Amino acid sequence: MIHSDFSRRNFLKSATAGFGYTAFAHLAAQEALRAKTFQNPLLPKQPHFEPKVKRVIFLFMQGAPTQHETFDYNLELEKHAGQKAEMNLSIGKQGGKILPPVYKFDRCGESGLPISEVFPHLQQHADDLCLLNGMHTDTPAHPQASIFTHTGNITFVRPSMGSWIVYGLGTENQDLPGFVTMNPPPVGGAALYGSAFLPATFQGTRLNIDPGEEPIGNIRNARMSLEAQRRQIDFVQDLNRGLLEKNEVDNQVEGVIQSYELAFKMQKAVPNVMDISQEPEHVRALYGIDDKVTRDFGAQCLLARRMAEAGVRFIELGHRGWDQHNKLRERLKTNATATDKPIAALMTDLKQRGLMQDTLIVWGGEFGRSTFEQNNGDGRRHNNRGYTMWMAGGGVKGGIRHGRCDATGAAVENKVHLHDLHATMLHLLGLDHKQLTYRYAGRDFRLTDVHGRVIREALV
Amino acid sequence: MKQFLLPVSMLLMAPVFVVSAGAAEIEPAQLDFFEKKIRPVLAKNCYMCHSAEAKTRMGGLSLDTKQGMRNGGQRGHAVVPGDVDAGVLMAALRHEGKLKMPPMGKLPAGVIEDFASWIRMGAPDPREVDISRTQSTIDVEKGRGYWAFQAPEKAGFPAVRGVAWPRGAIDHFILAKIEEKGLRPVSDASREALIRRASYDLTGLPPTPAEIAAFVADDDERAFHKVVDRLLASERFGERWGRHWLDVARYAETIGRTRNLPFPVAWKYRDYVIDAFNADKPYDEFVREQIAGDLLPYRNRSERNEQQIATGFLALGAHDLNEPDRKLFPMDVADEMINVTTRSMLALSVGCARCHDHKFDPIPTKDYYSMAGIFRSSELRDGLRLRPRFNSGYFRIQKMVTLDGVPDYSGEEAAELRTKRERLWQELLVAEEARDRAKTRKLARELGDMPVPENLAMGVVEAEQAVDCQVNVGGDPHMLGDETKRGFVQVLFPKDRALPQIGENESGRLQLAAWLVDRENPMTARVMVNRVWSHLFGRGIVKTVDNFGKIGSPPTHPELLDYLAVRFMEQGWSVKNLIREIVLSRTYRLSTDFDAANFEIEPDNTLLWRANRRRLEVEALRDSLLLISGEMSAERPAASPVHDFSRNQLINTGNKQVERWEVEETYRSVYVPVIRNQVNRFFETFDFPEPSETHGARDVTTVATQALFLMNSDFVQAHAQTAAERLIAGEKSDAERVRRAFRQVLSREPTEAEVEKSLAFIASTAEALRSEEQPRRRQSRVKAEENVEDWLFAAVTALLRRQPTASEMTDAMDYMSEQQPDAEKNVRDVKRFFVNNEGNLRRRQIGEFVELLLGRPATPRDFDEIAAFLEDARRQARRRGAPMVRGPQEAWARLYHALFSSAEFRYRG
Repeated sequence: MIHSDFSRRNFLKSATAGFGYTAFAHLAAQEALRAKTFQNPLLPKQPHFEPKVKRVIFLFMQGAPTQHETFDYNLELEKHAGQKAEMNLSIGKQGGKILPPVYKFDRCGESGLPISEVFPHLQQHADDLCLLNGMHTDTPAHPQASIFTHTGNITFVRPSMGSWIVYGLGTENQDLPGFVTMNPPPVGGAALYGSAFLPATFQGTRLNIDPGEEPIGNIRNARMSLEAQRRQIDFVQDLNRGLLEKNEVDNQVEGVIQSYELAFKMQKAVPNVMDISQEPEHVRALYGIDDKVTRDFGAQCLLARRMAEAGVRFIELGHRGWDQHNKLRERLKTNATATDKPIAALMTDLKQRGLMQDTLIVWGGEFGRSTFEQNNGDGRRHNNRGYTMWMAGGGVKGGIRHGRCDATGAAVENKVHLHDLHATMLHLLGLDHKQLTYRYAGRDFRLTDVHGRVIREALV
Repeated sequence: MKQFLLPVSMLLMAPVFVVSAGAAEIEPAQLDFFEKKIRPVLAKNCYMCHSAEAKTRMGGLSLDTKQGMRNGGQRGHAVVPGDVDAGVLMAALRHEGKLKMPPMGKLPAGVIEDFASWIRMGAPDPREVDISRTQSTIDVEKGRGYWAFQAPEKAGFPAVRGVAWPRGAIDHFILAKIEEKGLRPVSDASREALIRRASYDLTGLPPTPAEIAAFVADDDERAFHKVVDRLLASERFGERWGRHWLDVARYAETIGRTRNLPFPVAWKYRDYVIDAFNADKPYDEFVREQIAGDLLPYRNRSERNEQQIATGFLALGAHDLNEPDRKLFPMDVADEMINVTTRSMLALSVGCARCHDHKFDPIPTKDYYSMAGIFRSSELRDGLRLRPRFNSGYFRIQKMVTLDGVPDYSGEEAAELRTKRERLWQELLVAEEARDRAKTRKLARELGDMPVPENLAMGVVEAEQAVDCQVNVGGDPHMLGDETKRGFVQVLFPKDRALPQIGENESGRLQLAAWLVDRENPMTARVMVNRVWSHLFGRGIVKTVDNFGKIGSPPTHPELLDYLAVRFMEQGWSVKNLIREIVLSRTYRLSTDFDAANFEIEPDNTLLWRANRRRLEVEALRDSLLLISGEMSAERPAASPVHDFSRNQLINTGNKQVERWEVEETYRSVYVPVIRNQVNRFFETFDFPEPSETHGARDVTTVATQALFLMNSDFVQAHAQTAAERLIAGEKSDAERVRRAFRQVLSREPTEAEVEKSLAFIASTAEALRSEEQPRRRQSRVKAEENVEDWLFAAVTALLRRQPTASEMTDAMDYMSEQQPDAEKNVRDVKRFFVNNEGNLRRRQIGEFVELLLGRPATPRDFDEIAAFLEDARRQARRRGAPMVRGPQEAWARLYHALFSSAEFRYRG
C-alpha cells in the first residue's frame, strides 16, 4: 500500500512548529476526535472477502466487434452456411444468409483454444484467456449499450463500474487518480466514466493521451516555475494553518491543506506516469510503439501497465471502429492488427513483472454481430443476444470457453448476462455485488441493480 | 426496471399468490392438456423471444403469462378465448399471413391443431402471475401514522434556561435542544463575519469593502436588519436562490441521454425562476404554475405566458430519443415527471413504486399509476420527438408551446424568415410524403439551422384525450394489470378528506397542483422550509432534503420544522419573509468558534451550538472572482448560447462555445449553460450536481483536482491579474494594498502578522521574478485552443466569410476525414489538409473543398483567404505564447491568487 507521505503526523509536525509545545499537546489530544470525523474517501478499504485481484484493466472495443472471426469458433456457421437465419431484436427483425467465419481459427496453446488468425500475438496467450462466448445484453444500439456496459443501466444516469469499484475499495496511490479512462468513445459521453450519484471523488479521470497535450486539465502551471509555485503554496498553507489553529478542529480546512499537497505531487506524478519515453527501447518495441499501425493502442497499453504498477485501481483503454456492417474483412483486420500486438505485450509485460496474477483484464465491446451476412457477404449486423467478451488474469480459468451461441447467433448455453459479468468483476476484487450499495433517493443502489450472478464456472 | 419478477415456476409452487379466479376454476383435464400440449411448446419455441426471462418481448408480446397472451402485443390480442380465428397467434402458427411463427420453421400440424383445441376450450391458462403481484400488502391507514404524513402543528415555545439568549421563536427551539444536551452556544459572530455570511447566503457574492465598513460603523440596533433587507431586495438574490431551485428542478439545456439535442429556449424557464424569487412569488403559486400554469386563470397575456413558461418545469426532463420501445417511452416520460414533482415538492420518492409497492414508504404501485395517469393525460412539449423516420429531424416547433401575443420573428428580416420557414416546412411535408430520404434530410437540416421563433417556450399542455393508466406489472408496459383512476398519493391526507375531483376530460394536473399546496398537505410547506433552512445552515432540519420518507433522516428539530412550516403558510408562503426570520435569529448569527467541551459531546454540530463552515459552491466561487476582479457583469444575458445552436447539433463530445462561456463571459454563473452529459469541467470539479435528477443538497468534496484548478487554471490567474491591476491603481501604500485585498477576498482586516507575511511574500516574489524565474511560454493555452473543432471552424469561417452552420461543419469534417484520416484527432493533420510539407497550399484539395462548401469552383480570392487565415493563425499562436506580465503587478496577482486558494475563502464562516 502506497501512502502519501504527507500524513497527518507530518502535517502536525509542521503545524506545531510555530506555536509551541502546549499547543502541540492540545492538538495531539484533538487528533482522536479528528480521526473520528475526517476520512479521505480514496484511502484503500477492506474488501468484503479475500480478493483475487487488486485492479482491473478494461479494454473497451467500441462498435460491437464480431465474435465470429475473433474469439467464438462456432461450428454451426459452417454447418448452416448459406442458409437463411433470422433474429428478432428490439429494433426489429433482421435476417440473412449465414456467413461462415471470413478468417480461419487456429487451435492454440496447450488448451487448444480456437483463436482467429487475425490475432497471432494473442494466440500465444491462449491458455490465459477465458472466452465468454455466451454473453448477452439488453439492447443492440451503440450508445445505449455502451452506457449499459459501463453502468448496468440504460434508463437512468448511474455510476460507472470504475466509480463503484473505487467507491468500494479506494485506491492504492493517492498521487494518481484511482479510476482513469483513456480515449473514451464519444457515444455515451461522460456517462461512461461518470460517478452519477456517488460523490464526485469517485468519477473517472479522463486522461488526454494525445502527444504534447496535458494529460489532466490544469496539471501544469504555464506561468510559474515549480519553485515559485511552492513558495505560493507555502504562503497559502501558512494562512490555512493559521485558520486551523484558530478553529482547532476542522476537517474541511484539513482537507484543503491535504488537497494542495496532493495536487502539488500529482503535478509530477501524473506526467511522470504518462511519460512512456522513460521506457527502454525493447519495451517500447514489444508494445509496437515503433510501428505506426500499433503505435496508438500500444501507447495506451503501455500506459495501462505503468498505471497498474503505480497502483491505479481501474484503468480503461478504448479502441473504436469495430462496427463492421461492411468491409468486414478489411476493417476487422485493421482493428485486430492495431490491437493484437499491444494487448499481447501488455499481458507478457504484466506476467514478467508478476502483476498479471492480481490484475483482471477484460476485453470486449458493447454487443456482438449477427451470424448472417450483410452487404454482399462482407459485413454483419448488430446482435445483442449473443456475443463474446473475454477475461484474463487473477482468479480466472484460462484456456476455456464458456457459453455457446446457435446458428442464429443467440446465446443458448451457459449464457452470461452483462450484469453477471459485472458481478464477477466485483467478486474477483473481493466485493459482493449485493453488498456494494449506495443509498440514494430513497433506496440502496447497486451496480447490478437486482440482477447479477457470479460466473463461478469461469473462476479458479 | 424489470425487477422483482419471480420466475413462473416459483409462483406455481407458491399457489398462495394466486388469488384471482383462474387456476382454481380450470378443470383438471384442461389443466393437464395445457401442461402437456401447450406449455412445453411455448417454452421451447416462444419464450426465447416473448418472455420476462428472455428480457425481450418482441412485438411487445409476452407468451409466458396468461395476461400477456390475452393482452397481446403491438399486433393485437394473441389469443381470444373460444375464438380460434380471432387472435394473432393462430394465424402466425398457421403461416397464413405475413407473420410466420416460430421463425425457425412451421410447427407440426398436430401441434397447431392442439393450440386450436386449447383456444376452443377457452384457453385455460394457470400462469397467472401478474395480477397477484399487484395485490398490495401496504396498509395505507397505518402508514398515515408516520411523522411526515401528519399535518404540521405549531407547538408552544419550549422553556429554556438562558432566557436572555433567544431573539425569537427559532432560538427557543434551538437553545432548548442545546441545553438538553448540556451544550452552550458559542459567542456571536463578528460584524464582518456576519455580513459576509449573509451576503453569500442571500446573494452568492461577498460584501464589498464599502458595505462592510458601513455595517461595522452603523450603531443603529436595526443595522443588521437593514443589511438583510438590502440583500433581499437585490436582483442578485433571485440569481442565488433561483439557482437553488434549478438544482431541484434538474434544469438543463439539452435533453441528455443518448441523443443529446439542445433545448433552445430552456433559458426562459430559468429566467422565470429567477424572477419568481426576486418578486417573492408566493411559493404555493410558484408550485401551482409549474405543475398546471397552462390551466390557471390569468389577468393578462404576460401573466398567461409566464404561467405557461412555468410548466417548463415538467418538460425539462432527460429522455432517450432513441428509445426503441414505443410503449415504454411515454411511461418513461410520465415517470420522469412523477419523480421530479414528488422529489422536489414532496421529498418523496414515489418513482420507487413503479415496479412494485414502495419498499419503505406506504405508497402502493396503484398510487404511482394514479399519478402516471395524470401525466399521461398531459402532453410534453419540449420541442423534440422520438426517433423520426428518414432522418427528418428531431426538432419540431409544433412540439413546443406558443406564447400569446408574441411575434414569431421580429426585426427587418421577420417576414422573410417567416416565409422561408413556411416554405421549408411545406416542402418537408411533401418530401416525407414522397418518402424521399435525401431531400427530407436536407430540408430538416435547413429547418433546424433556422433561428428559433421568438414566441416559443417549453412546457406541457393537456393531451387530446385524458386516459387512466393500468398498472404496468413490474414496471413493464407490456404487462398490464389493474386499472387505476387518475389521482394522488393516498397516504398524505386522511381517508375521509375530500380531495379535488378530476373531471373526465381533464388530465388532473390542476387538481394535482391544488392538492400539492393544500394547507393540509403535510409535506409541501415542510419540504420547502427545510430546503431554505439547509441553504442557510449547510444542513437541513431533515438532513435528506429530497427524502422525508422512512429511509430519510428524521428531523433534528421536529417542532421547529413544524413551526416554520405553519408560519410559512400563515405568511402567505413568502420565501423572503421566511429567510428574513431565520437570518435575523440569534442562531444564524453564531460564530464558527471552536469549543472543546461542546465538541466532545457533539462533534457533528447538528444541534447548531456554533455556525458551520460552508464550502463556496462553484457559482459563488466563480462569481466572487468576477466581482473582486471588477469584471462581473450585472446584466442578464439575452437568452443563452444554446439558443443559437443548430437544433441538429448533437452535444456529446463537448462544445467549445459552452466551455468558453464560463471562462470568457462575465455573466453570473447561473447563466452559464447547463449541458447534460457535458457539465463543464470547472463546474464538475467543484461538485455541480448531475443535472438529470433532483439534487436539493450538493456533494461537498475537497479533492486534488480542485486544488489543481485553483493553482493552475488560466481563469483564476487571469482574474488575479485583473484584480492586481486595479489594486495597484487604487491604493498607494503596500500595507494598504494588502489590507484591501484581504477585505475584498476574506471580508476582514488582516492581522499585523498577516500583513507582514504578505509583504514578505510580495517582496520575495518580486525579487524572484526579477532574477530566478524565466518567462515561460504559456504552452497550455496554446494547446488548449488549438483543437480541431476550433481550428476548422475558423478556417471554414474564413472561406465562407461568415460563420458556418452545423451541417456545413459536418460536411467539411466528413470531407476532411476522407482526405486526411487522422484529421479528427489532430490539428496538425487539419493543417496538413491545407498545406503540404513544403508549406505550399494544396490547391487541388482546397479547390474541391470550396466546391463542396460553396457549390462553385474556387476563385483566386478563396486561395488568398485561406493563405491569409493560415498566416493569421500563425501570428495568433505566437501572441498567445507571449510571456506574462512581469514586475510588481505579477507579485500582487500572486497574492490574490493565494487568497483565492485559501481555505478561509473556499470554506466561509
